[in-house]
Amino acid sequence: MSEHNLLDQCQRALDLLRQHGADRAEVFGQTTRTITSAAEKDDLQISKSRQETRIGLRAFVGAQVGFASTNTLARLEDAAVDAVTLAKASPGDPHNVLPEPTAVGPVAGTYDPAADAFTTADAVKQTIRILETAKSVDRRVIVGEAEFTAEIRDRVLVNSAGAEAQEQGSLFTYSVLTTARDGKAVSNMDGKVGATRSVGAIDVEPIARRSSANALGSLGAEKGETFNGPVVLDPYAVLDLFAPLQFQLNARNALRGMSRWKDALGEPVAVPEFALVDDGRIPGGVATSSFDREGVPHRRLPLIEGGVLRSFMHNAYTAHAFDAPNTGHAAGSAGSLPAIGPTNFSILPSEAAKEDLISGVKRGLLVNRFSGNTDPVSGDFSGVAKAAHLIVDGKVDRAVSGTLIAGNLFEALKTLSGISRETESVFNYTFPFLRLEGISITAE
Amino acid sequence: MQKLLERTVAGAGGWVELRYQARSTKRITVRNGNLEESSSALLAGLGVRALVDGVFGFASTTDASERGVLAAIEAARSAAKTSAGAKKERIKGLADASMATGAFPVATDDPLDAHSLEEKLALVLRLDERVRSGAKEIASSMASYGEIQDEKIIVTSDGASAHVFDSKPELRAIAVAGRNGDQTMGHESSGVTGGWSDLLGIVAPEELADKAVQVAVDQLAAPHPSGGTSVVVLDPGLVGVLCHEAIGHTVEADIVLGGAITSDKIGEVVASELITLCDSGATEYSPYAVGILPVDDEGVLTRRTVIIEKGVLRSFLHNRETAAHYGVAPTGNARAYVYSDDPIIRMRNTYIEPGETPLDEMIGWVKEGYYLRELGMSGQADSNAEFMFGVREAHRIVDGKIGELVRGATISGNAFDVLKSVDAVGDDFAWEHGAGACGKGQLAKVDLGGPYLRCALTIGGRQT
Repeated sequence: MSEHNLLDQCQRALDLLRQHGADRAEVFGQTTRTITSAAEKDDLQISKSRQETRIGLRAFVGAQVGFASTNTLARLEDAAVDAVTLAKASPGDPHNVLPEPTAVGPVAGTYDPAADAFTTADAVKQTIRILETAKSVDRRVIVGEAEFTAEIRDRVLVNSAGAEAQEQGSLFTYSVLTTARDGKAVSNMDGKVGATRSVGAIDVEPIARRSSANALGSLGAEKGETFNGPVVLDPYAVLDLFAPLQFQLNARNALRGMSRWKDALGEPVAVPEFALVDDGRIPGGVATSSFDREGVPHRRLPLIEGGVLRSFMHNAYTAHAFDAPNTGHAAGSAGSLPAIGPTNFSILPSEAAKEDLISGVKRGLLVNRFSGNTDPVSGDFSGVAKAAHLIVDGKVDRAVSGTLIAGNLFEALKTLSGISRETESVFNYTFPFLRLEGISITAE
Repeated sequence: MQKLLERTVAGAGGWVELRYQARSTKRITVRNGNLEESSSALLAGLGVRALVDGVFGFASTTDASERGVLAAIEAARSAAKTSAGAKKERIKGLADASMATGAFPVATDDPLDAHSLEEKLALVLRLDERVRSGAKEIASSMASYGEIQDEKIIVTSDGASAHVFDSKPELRAIAVAGRNGDQTMGHESSGVTGGWSDLLGIVAPEELADKAVQVAVDQLAAPHPSGGTSVVVLDPGLVGVLCHEAIGHTVEADIVLGGAITSDKIGEVVASELITLCDSGATEYSPYAVGILPVDDEGVLTRRTVIIEKGVLRSFLHNRETAAHYGVAPTGNARAYVYSDDPIIRMRNTYIEPGETPLDEMIGWVKEGYYLRELGMSGQADSNAEFMFGVREAHRIVDGKIGELVRGATISGNAFDVLKSVDAVGDDFAWEHGAGACGKGQLAKVDLGGPYLRCALTIGGRQT
């Protein structure tokens, strides 16, 4: 469906909502076209094409809200009736509001016209390149899975307050999952992902090389040591461990009483060197777009500056509930109600080199991946350090397996002793290496 | 629709598989007394898989007209042809299977559509209120109801023509407790294949709420466990998680071919002889297990597969492609979550068969150890069977008695080593009957379960 037709269908859905009893309404439409080439066990597996239009309808009846979605245009009226029926059956909530209409300006680098000419054959070539690069590192590497996907997405948002926004986006994502096998010895799995918005910037080789190197690095790992000490985290491990920060910074969780930081605005929550920013307008950013799930423009939002909590991420509901500015963080697809989520989410780098973080450690652990869980409420984390190496007298030492690390995220933020200048992007997250102190390290 | 698909397949030539799916979903979420979500979805579409020159191609469309079906077949074939030149190992054929024909309705006397939205909303409001008023320490409450109803028509050029219905409702309760700036969470859920009263009959909603509250509040005062290897008694929920996450994925034949640790172990002893581990699309032990699947998404009639028999690895889980590769019969494990997903190897109901030891006897022999109940916030496992799971509720066992609750416990190890260490298998059985789904690029509703097990594994705690 062309962008023009999608707008027409969304306008029609808006009219249907009003006809069936909504006094205010919002419609979000998405048309997604994807081409995927997937490989398994070192060989091409399948190529796929997919096209779908999904329309999400939000009906307001006074302070009541109902939501329905469909991918079948012939059932648009059924969905409108469902949305209004659900609204009328639901308890009201004074914070169920539409955002004030705001002019939406374009952002750079969200769509590459060359994406229109991208073919299944192009996707297959990229997948083969992932396979060949991973295997070229070492023949003991097995590519369990590799995938390349090209996606073009049209987005349209209209509401009864007069908002009308539309945008086209292109996105190329690639991933690889490797293990290494030497005789009976099998390494840990290692997964890496990459993404870009433009055809010219596609480069699948770095993720394939890094994944192979990590899998090989964990081959032959032996039992570690048990102690309390510093841990240096690779950016992938930072993502594994620090992802719950998004939960704390979600205004909805503050409203629910579930965020530890619900009363901490303006207060220190981390060491002064720690800064966290969300920016949905970075040119060419993986999560860059001109407007959020409710049609509000994205912006650069410092969340933690100098270790001090500066803002939560808001959508229209929480902005109204907190009487705070709407930060343009309504998130989600046409298949769901607007939630809250990050865009391009970054821990800002510092001055120190990654080597400095390691050289300052007498006895510690370098962790490439964390396979465990962090309780978003208590902040307690515990899990296995994957592709880990001991650090001895400031140098990376032998690989260790089956080593558990445990601590508390909130304590770690207030005691962390190093942030690197090197960063790595993992899809829409950009993180440096971090050094945490006083972590419980247990060898199995 | 079935006639259209049969007619199109007959005229298409070559091997094709057509899968039409119409899905309706509902979700209601209440938090702290406020309705957060009241939503529905009406989705329909067609997934087409074609096998050309030994390579699969897949295409999906929402246009289920004859013209749309033909266009999707052409797109799937074109995708296959594009890959064919570069694929190293062509598919030599698909294994023969018992292909499904006819209708496969949901076994329930109480369909979900017979109950109004108001009734479902009232239940969720009541559940949330029960959590919120459960204890003075409760800082936040959440309750939700979800349902998925599917109608699938699966037609293949080699004999399947099945009309399959499915219905899976679920309930969830979450309690967050707080005291002196410390917060802890308790969460419980229930889910079934079946109708409304089937769901409510599995676990009373009040029981879900009360348990979530109890776990959250009790953990506030609980110490952390000390790390190290320990004797543990696992409840059926955690036994099921171990079967599914740490063993089950390593025997999915696509993962096996990708280098899993099990690849050369058929016929070898991989567990204690007390262990028999199965995966089944049928209704063993309960007519309501969440992973019940009479027909898989290749149109194959499902069956019970014995993966480990008395400690010996007997079978992997197969689709028609991997079954042909290994020269065995397909096990009916090809599944696709929505029409736009291609079928891949997934589990259904995965479990360990019960043994002979009563629970009190199992615990009574433990001088020092832990009693562990249900999966916590998350779990992960590798294709080398190394796993790490959070534990929802962990108690010390001292001198044969369940004692103090500890918080933040995790368990880890190699799942096959853990199964080799099993020295007692309970004489009871329970399915998890939980909400949620397994993820492997796409979702699948599964169930997991077993008896209580006593074994040795590593508890993650804190060094002091």
